[in-house]
Amino acid sequence: MLQTRPDLGSPQPYTFPKPRRLRVGNGNVVAIDVPGQQYAAVRLVQPAGGAAEPPDRMGVAALTGEVLEDGIHGNSSLAPALERHGAEWVSRVTWDSFVTGVDAPVNRISEATSLFAEAVRRPALLRDDVLRRRDQLVEQFWLEASMPSTLATRAVGGQLFSGRYATPLSGGPVRLNDVTPEMVADFHSRNIANVAGTLVVVGDLANVDLEKLGTTVFGDAESAPEASVTPPEPAPGEVPRVLLIDRPDSVQSALVLAHRAPSRSEVDLPKADGISDVLGGMFTSRLNLELRENLGYTYGAGSRFDLRRDSGVFLVSTQVERDATAHSITASIAETEKLQSGGVTAAELEAVRESNTVGMPVTYSTARSLASALVEMVVHDLPDDYVDRMRAGFERITADDLGQAARQYLRPEEFVVIVVGDAQHLQQPLRDTGIGPVTVREPDSLWG
Amino acid sequence: MTTKTASGNVRQFTLDNGLRLVTAPADTGQVAAVNLWYGVGSRYEVPGRTGFAHLFEHLMFQGSGNVAKGEHFDAVERLGGDINASTSTDRTNYFETVPEHALDLALWLEADRLATLRQGVTQEVLDNQRDVVKNERRQRYDNVPYGTALERILRLGYPEGHPYHHPTIGSMADLDAADLDYVLSFHERHYGPDNLVLTVVSNLDSDDVRNRVERYFGSVPARREPAQAPDASLSGPIGGPVRDSVTENVPAPAVFLGYRIPPYGERGFDIANLAAAVLGQGQGSRLYRRLVVERGLATDDGGAAGDVLPFRYTPSLLLINMIAREGVSGDELETAILEEVAGMVEGVTEEELERARAVLERDHLQSLSHPSGLADAIGSCTQLFGDPELAYTWPQRWADITTEEVEDCARRMLTQRNLLVVRFDPPAAPEAAQDDGAEHAPA
Repeated sequence: MLQTRPDLGSPQPYTFPKPRRLRVGNGNVVAIDVPGQQYAAVRLVQPAGGAAEPPDRMGVAALTGEVLEDGIHGNSSLAPALERHGAEWVSRVTWDSFVTGVDAPVNRISEATSLFAEAVRRPALLRDDVLRRRDQLVEQFWLEASMPSTLATRAVGGQLFSGRYATPLSGGPVRLNDVTPEMVADFHSRNIANVAGTLVVVGDLANVDLEKLGTTVFGDAESAPEASVTPPEPAPGEVPRVLLIDRPDSVQSALVLAHRAPSRSEVDLPKADGISDVLGGMFTSRLNLELRENLGYTYGAGSRFDLRRDSGVFLVSTQVERDATAHSITASIAETEKLQSGGVTAAELEAVRESNTVGMPVTYSTARSLASALVEMVVHDLPDDYVDRMRAGFERITADDLGQAARQYLRPEEFVVIVVGDAQHLQQPLRDTGIGPVTVREPDSLWG
Repeated sequence: MTTKTASGNVRQFTLDNGLRLVTAPADTGQVAAVNLWYGVGSRYEVPGRTGFAHLFEHLMFQGSGNVAKGEHFDAVERLGGDINASTSTDRTNYFETVPEHALDLALWLEADRLATLRQGVTQEVLDNQRDVVKNERRQRYDNVPYGTALERILRLGYPEGHPYHHPTIGSMADLDAADLDYVLSFHERHYGPDNLVLTVVSNLDSDDVRNRVERYFGSVPARREPAQAPDASLSGPIGGPVRDSVTENVPAPAVFLGYRIPPYGERGFDIANLAAAVLGQGQGSRLYRRLVVERGLATDDGGAAGDVLPFRYTPSLLLINMIAREGVSGDELETAILEEVAGMVEGVTEEELERARAVLERDHLQSLSHPSGLADAIGSCTQLFGDPELAYTWPQRWADITTEEVEDCARRMLTQRNLLVVRFDPPAAPEAAQDDGAEHAPA
């Protein structure tokens, strides 16, 4: 005899663990002790992302991040050294930050952190290594862009912005070629070598001397400079419009519908994330239910905000069967407009509220996810109780809030629709949608 | 929030209906990880019915006797839970990590679809998920460069009619041919508690978890007749070299090599796993050092050129994959990789082996460092080997393997007779067609 559906009962109250903060030299250590977590996550956050790169050296931050893996002896020496300690190098350059680190068994954290710190502060930066990594990055750009979804996503910047954001973070295949070993050395010495930054540490810290760890990483480096923020200019061109990137014989089309959004500090995040959840952020979101579960056009659809210090982007993305391309776009726009005019249902409101409050223990159930939250807090100057504030924001959220967010943050009338697919088959159906002008481009014409 | 648990805390129970439950009390904070390994995968499929185990995995989310279409996902997602499933040759795996107070709900949802799925499946649902899976196939196989590599590797590695000859995604034609009667009979044949390992990693006491699982799953009857897997026995080398040369619109030539190695779980497999790591795991590996850094022939994969495809019930595969740099031909890269493989016979150093062990151990321990990963490893070891404790002791398997054993493995298995090659090359540019023709002739 099967049981009836159980009542959930009440969740345990959740509070984000209070990080321990230390000032060490000119740097900050922010740490969360997780008793029992034997795999530690260590991250160094420095305020040197891609957004501030001048036009003649776009991609220098990303290339420097790569070259650090060559270590203090050059010639790709860092990873093998870390491997012997069961550790793994971590490097992530974003528009707003330069993040490096290691994941390591907590009983080897001192050795792994020493190796990582040496590599960040005193890399060999050999000329041959820089050139090899640069050429590899350029070739990889095209390898990765042969994936239609990647190509579509990389085309977004050039459609929404002029200036730095119009070129991909890595500098793309053209600008990166102009970055020299001297520029890498200059970028490193100005922004990385002697800039203390913030060290994030998560794991079982019972036997970890955080001060010593901080000293290892910071040495006598100087305080990180304030990052400057200048809002970027928009790209010219009529909106809405369609950019069709030709990929002959594609049996599927990759779609991105994107528009500009405010900067992170200008956005009421629970409301914006909440409305994105309803539209495409969850499996049970409207786009997924319509395009996947109802129409069977796709394996999945999603939406998200990509919010930076000086601006933001909202994106809807999916990959659909070729012949369903045009209808998938009009259906996605229609769902967005419906959300704006009709607001959310009681069930959707509950789903947003619950998943972002009750679900927090799951969201922060790994060392890496806790470390990511701390990195985000450092990059965006958020308070220690930021996660709890977010939870409180979601607890308070109403259907009216989400309806208002749909009107404020979703702008289908400003969508640039990027389609990577077979132009011969798609051009006419896309024109027939009447969304706006349709431009056909070859992939290698996108980044000058 | 972590999974530190003495392996001695792990307990295994078998319910009267055959369900095997493993409990692992651990410091998981406020979450519980639930993991179900059903002993059915694409190895049970027969020609004409490929892709069915995976298609069926999709149908398991489409509603059952007491759960509406989409409700399972909705219920877990609104708890902020992680939920998904995957299918391989040897199992179908469903998993969710939920806040602890929702453990009963997760168990009930799983029990309901195990017991009553056949009441929820309709033709409409089948048609819809067939379309979804066909789009999954397009997204992962047909519309990306090199996407059909695995399919081609399996075709060469296992003879026609062998249950590992095809990939779990199946063919478009077979997906089209799937019918509702077969869906219902598939559930009846494979989805019984006697074919299930259920693992729960949580802060809760083992007896408490056992009582809950008994409550929800205890009354679900065992299958009347366990399904018989098609014969997967196979011995000897591939009989190669065999090759599949593909000219397609790919961005650069790519080389995929495969060698048959012993089944997953045998010592010979572990030795081959170390050989693959010496060759191609990590930036200290031979292929990375020689072909990426020193000779600049292959694109930078970060040290991921060598790997193993673990099959429990038939010989597994050791795989090598690299993509050529600009101006490097597929032949040149293929020759260079084969030279490195041949070099393994000349000798492997203790230092290389230590590094390879460290890489494999790191990956294993990282996967155990979160509740979901630990539950998955325990489920795997219980379903495939009947021993949940193996999840903790797995790295010990590599500890006493010697350089001589790895060299011997290379000598016996990394041979031309045991080699399959799948090569992707872009079409030759028209003006260079004549020159390239000779260069790209099959080896």
